[in-house]
Amino acid sequence: MATLTEDDLQLFVDAVKHYLKATSKQEPEITSAFLGDSSVIAHEFNGIVSFMGGYSGQILVSMPEGMLRELLVLQHEHDLSETNLLDAVGEVANTLAGNARKVFGPDLEISVPTRLRGAQGITARVRPRPYVITFRWHRHPALVCVDLERR
Amino acid sequence: MRLLIVDDSNLIRTRIARVVESTGLEEIFIVGLARDGREALQIARETRPDVVTMDLTMPEMDGVATIRELMRMPHPPSILVVSALNDKSTAITALRLGARGFLNKPFTDDELGLALLDVCKPL
Repeated sequence: MATLTEDDLQLFVDAVKHYLKATSKQEPEITSAFLGDSSVIAHEFNGIVSFMGGYSGQILVSMPEGMLRELLVLQHEHDLSETNLLDAVGEVANTLAGNARKVFGPDLEISVPTRLRGAQGITARVRPRPYVITFRWHRHPALVCVDLERR
Repeated sequence: MRLLIVDDSNLIRTRIARVVESTGLEEIFIVGLARDGREALQIARETRPDVVTMDLTMPEMDGVATIRELMRMPHPPSILVVSALNDKSTAITALRLGARGFLNKPFTDDELGLALLDVCKPL
């Protein structure tokens, strides 16, 4: 399997920026991008989309509750229940994964998102050395883990 | 115009509904919300929508299979695909099956309103 290039990873950085700009009119500040290990600490709400076909792996979007609540309020959503917060983080993961097909093409098959509450055990779901992009939006820290390999 | 909204995300379904109800699209009224293709087909048979917003990546029955079935109905609706799958071949597949428009996620309220008005125009 081949690993991703810097340009491939830039796609996900751009996708995060575009998502938040389109939904909140404010881009996030990218705070770091690095090859992660088991010490990566996830946030409370997590959305995971799996990749299949010409690629394998998954993308994990991890966000704190406060960030998701603000995002929903900015979209005029009044229901800030746990169900809707999980729906929101899953939708972010789904959108980032779907947008990746513009570069990776239709060989990148994507699953419906899995939504998980709780940071514990999240990093164990991705391979030992995923690419990690951390960012800050409206004071809230969040991260995207990209674990994707070409077959 | 009778609108059916199809998306596995409750947030997206309610957001589309809110945009329709709050941005002067008075001639469009919502006849149903569906979370997957099977539910969409059931509601479509009961309510005969003129317009459908259609997600593509959904559990049970995906958007492509659902569009194919909707286009076999006696009076097929006008379909606006609303999806994060933004590669050209996905859009071409949806349009070849009979969809009239394609809106990428993420979208703004204005972009959604314009896209809906576009697919509501008579052919």
